[in-house]
Amino acid sequence: MNGRKSMGGGRGRSGPGQAKGDGQQRRPMFRRRKVCKFCADKIDDINYKDTKLLMGFVPERAKILPRRISGTCALHQRRLRIAIMRARQLAMIPYTGE
Amino acid sequence: MNRKYELVYIVSPDATEDQVAELHGQVEAVVQRMGGQLEKTENWGRRRLAYEIGRHKEGNYVLDVISGSGELMKEIERRLKVYDTVIRQLIVRVDEAELVSERRRSTRTESSRRRRVARGLPADRQPGEGQRSEFDDDRDDRFEVGEDLR
Repeated sequence: MNGRKSMGGGRGRSGPGQAKGDGQQRRPMFRRRKVCKFCADKIDDINYKDTKLLMGFVPERAKILPRRISGTCALHQRRLRIAIMRARQLAMIPYTGE
Repeated sequence: MNRKYELVYIVSPDATEDQVAELHGQVEAVVQRMGGQLEKTENWGRRRLAYEIGRHKEGNYVLDVISGSGELMKEIERRLKVYDTVIRQLIVRVDEAELVSERRRSTRTESSRRRRVARGLPADRQPGEGQRSEFDDDRDDRFEVGEDLR
């Protein structure tokens, strides 16, 4: 459950040459491990009609939430993208935020 | 070639019930004439649009599930484009996607059954056993949106 996020901590910033103290300070920032919602809930068919589900992946600005934040696996992110784009065509999901 | 398609079209909110019905009749007629089959029709009624289309803020959504040829869908699309009461339409082919998810589902249940039998349990999950069902939704495992989005 509470596994360490693989690339947690300051991403990119804490290179090997940096002061140790800094790294140690960041250490206790454990994040919950992200799992793909669709794998976990066994949703095979990401449907463009399921607005409620899709809206969980479009924050206020209405951009599609990237994988690195949602934790969705590549396969499902791809299908999710297609579903969101279809739903957008039908004005069920916005293209842009307010 | 029989394929399955989903057609969703949005009828302008100014259109009367009769106009919506007439439009549906048109679709049905084309389907019939070109040897297709109308498998299901759903009228979602009036819904708010996520953005304005033209000057409309609402629309009547109609979903049709049609099996037939690509030619048929082409014809329907062409016809719907003619009507100015139709403000948006989408045609999606669904048979292949359905097949794939069906297959995935069956392999999954099968393998879970196999594993259960190997553990000496009855093949199917008993009521009240195991994790929560998909219906209780109190476990909010969604990502935190506070993180950097860029």
